[in-house]
Amino acid sequence: MTTATGSAVEHELALISGKDNIAEETRDISGVLPVIAVSPRSAEEVAAIVNVANQRNLVIAPAGGFTRQQIGGAPERVDILLRTDRLNRVRHYDSGDLTIGVDAGLSFGEMQRCLAEHRQWIPFDPCNGSASSVGGLLATAPSGPLKSGHGGLRDFCIGVEFVTGDGIVAKGGGRVVKNVAGYDLMKLLIGSYGSLAVITGANFKVFPEFRQTRTFVCAFASLTESLMFRTQVLNSPLSTSIACMEIVSPKAPEYLREMPVAHDPDDYAPSEPLGAVPGEWEIALRFSGSEAVLARCSRELGAAVSRELAGAEETKFWHWISQFEESVLQRHRNALVIYANVAINDAGSAIEALERSAPDYNFLPAVVGRAATGNLIMGLVPLPVEPPNVMQYANCVSAFRGLLPPGSSAMVARCPKEAKGHFDLWGGTPTDVKLMRQIKQALDPKNVLNRGRFIV
Amino acid sequence: MNASILRQLRKIVGKDSVLDRPEDLALYEYDAGVEKSRPGAVVFPENTEQVSKTLRLASENKIPVVPRGAGTGLSGGAIAAQEAIVVSSSRLNRILEIDIPNQRAVVQPGVVNLELSNATARYGYYYAPDPSSQKACTIGGNVAENSGGPHTLALGVTVNHVTGLEVVLPDGRIVEFGGKVQDSCGLDLAGFFVGSEGTLGLTTRITVKLTRIPESVATLLAIYNSVQDAANTVVAITQSGITPAALEMLDGWLLRAVEAAVHAGYPLDAAAVLLIELEGMKEAVQEQADMVSAVCMKQNAREVRRARDEQQRQALWLGRKTAFGAIGRVATSYYTQDAVIPRTKVPETLAEIDHISKKYGLTVANVFHAGDGNLHPLILFDGRDARQTEDSRKVGKEIMSYCLSVGGSITGEHGVGSEKKNLMPCMFTEDDLDVMVRLRNVFNPDSLLNPQKVIPETRICREITGPLPKAKVEPLPGVPV
Repeated sequence: MTTATGSAVEHELALISGKDNIAEETRDISGVLPVIAVSPRSAEEVAAIVNVANQRNLVIAPAGGFTRQQIGGAPERVDILLRTDRLNRVRHYDSGDLTIGVDAGLSFGEMQRCLAEHRQWIPFDPCNGSASSVGGLLATAPSGPLKSGHGGLRDFCIGVEFVTGDGIVAKGGGRVVKNVAGYDLMKLLIGSYGSLAVITGANFKVFPEFRQTRTFVCAFASLTESLMFRTQVLNSPLSTSIACMEIVSPKAPEYLREMPVAHDPDDYAPSEPLGAVPGEWEIALRFSGSEAVLARCSRELGAAVSRELAGAEETKFWHWISQFEESVLQRHRNALVIYANVAINDAGSAIEALERSAPDYNFLPAVVGRAATGNLIMGLVPLPVEPPNVMQYANCVSAFRGLLPPGSSAMVARCPKEAKGHFDLWGGTPTDVKLMRQIKQALDPKNVLNRGRFIV
Repeated sequence: MNASILRQLRKIVGKDSVLDRPEDLALYEYDAGVEKSRPGAVVFPENTEQVSKTLRLASENKIPVVPRGAGTGLSGGAIAAQEAIVVSSSRLNRILEIDIPNQRAVVQPGVVNLELSNATARYGYYYAPDPSSQKACTIGGNVAENSGGPHTLALGVTVNHVTGLEVVLPDGRIVEFGGKVQDSCGLDLAGFFVGSEGTLGLTTRITVKLTRIPESVATLLAIYNSVQDAANTVVAITQSGITPAALEMLDGWLLRAVEAAVHAGYPLDAAAVLLIELEGMKEAVQEQADMVSAVCMKQNAREVRRARDEQQRQALWLGRKTAFGAIGRVATSYYTQDAVIPRTKVPETLAEIDHISKKYGLTVANVFHAGDGNLHPLILFDGRDARQTEDSRKVGKEIMSYCLSVGGSITGEHGVGSEKKNLMPCMFTEDDLDVMVRLRNVFNPDSLLNPQKVIPETRICREITGPLPKAKVEPLPGVPV
């Protein structure tokens, strides 16, 4: 954008959302600094902004809590950062119906606080969940440990309002918990990374809070043993009371606690010496239910349990599991985070693939993941042998993907921005990409939304 | 149908796999809804390649194609367009793979819903979505309609249980969406496709989740002297923090009709009953059954019975699942709706339905999925009486208007089809519908695949016109509720 166009755009945006709601943005997206940031107050204002972009061939990046902006390709450019921070109302909350409708810019934490007043919640605990906006979570569809027992946003979202890439305000679904009228636009937009439309509002079904839970951590000498135990539990009567079922690799516990000392994030400096003890593989099980249910879980797991957690200790444990990837990135600026989604029974092969490929490229692998569903979060920490170079990342990801069982997908969620552009961040997908492109073309014909960042 | 097209169809699927004689086609002109239309031909492909070739032929010759499973749908989704080729899934009926370690099964679309659960039960798993027609309906049809069922309250409807699809697009192209993995990278086209009512493509292979059979089940029958007390119980259970596996309601009129037909052991003098099922670990089930019983009693239940064994449980469910069939014994004609309302609105909506029914002097029976607010009011009338037929339409219209006015939806599980497409503008704006049309055009640009379904021709909600019920609608055996 030239300076002249820039000030003309600024003027047009000021007419739409008011001068006070236009700002300079200091945070970059994968190294690209947005030219201007605007905070609209309604879906109609969003549509007007999108129209400006269409008329002037500008690129928009929608932004909520800025917790997942570094995922995906570096944008071609960002002319307008469309911030949803002023779209922050609770539209309706019917605690009796267990449904809520909110603006997309509301933080997920704020929505949960609102629900907590009626002892309700959405059982969803992704990394940085509280600070994330509802719209941002829908757009990126992350998973947290509760996925094992309670599913993901696609199971909770019952209605969505959005502005298409060509500036049409539209909606799908509704306010009731069961509804098959019209196409399921929620499923289309969840996980579309803001490439089809700007999400401006959403309705959810909500749930009563857990009455009580307890966590049992079981340790094993090998990955194979830990997964055999996982399968046993999944095939037992206990499976219907599982809230979380997480696998934790031997190197992961390092990132499941406070950072011991502040140190240079470029260096790998573990708090405990590496290789001193051959680490253990853990399966962490969280059950919800009455005292009788929890007592039976404890009884039947028996000797397999090495630690039992309850209360504040338990809450903290699961917070750290949720925050695993953030914790890895805070300690190592150059770390790589991969989301590997695999068939339940392929979790072992996928983790082995990582354990085999990472050391060849001087990365240290650490994994946590949803053992009951196959959503794995993999952290790869570069060893301080020499300064990491981009090909090391590209080659490691390629070697890892080559070893994955067929049907798996592995997207690189985070890596140094310098490495982006040197390899395919998203990786292969079984779903037809040609149709994905045609859908993008149908809803965002001029490609104004998140150009260059998603698969399409 | 044009002889050359018929010849080419026979070349694709084989001589014995194409029907075109009027007496044969007559069997394919209806589904379990109210409309009828005779297709030009019916074909029975046996594999994906034959489906693909059939669709390509139709597309090249601009002939509409209508997919068909078991024909148990209630919204006219399988009703053929004029001179259309109906593609039946009845020979695509194999379970291709049961993969217990991954909790998945891969099936062809013509597999009957219950068949899959029967095949996996020995491993301790089942396929959770259970439409009342599950003994007849196909999984392909369930995918098209995003079917629900009594037990979807806790476990979710079809879309929550499908992870992968092989689809043939109207031009014959074969595409994959997802697979056994729950969250593949990229757009969730499998999720988007489910519930598209055969307007985006034809499924030829479906990967579904299998669910662990719970250790323990408790089935309760709560009996009420007042419909309002039963309705208030639904609200109270929802708020209690317990999500039953199923929470169904039958009103007194229907109870008596069902009892006369199947002798399920329902009390004949009750105003309403709730059928409540709890599943899970035996400790959890025992405790929740006690809590739910207490909630029912607090809401003035006369009595709460608990099925003592599987036989009693099946008897209670038989009454529920054959309710529609039972109506055939007592009324010449009926028409059912599928509106969904917020759960807290169940008491006032039932009062309103009662009020409307009295105003027109027509019986409206209620049997529905109370737990998620999915109503199925059955409007009974004598189809030979023009006045009653007309009034039944007005009753339907007033009930639907009311449900929409409290924030409801026109359909919870039966689908829009051709039956409710003119109600779509009451829920969606012109822009909403425009987005849906654009998306349909990506998959089905000439709208040759299941034309005139889902998307209305007119975009304005002028008035709510209930579809005109035909005289003497006989439900097929096991028709969904």
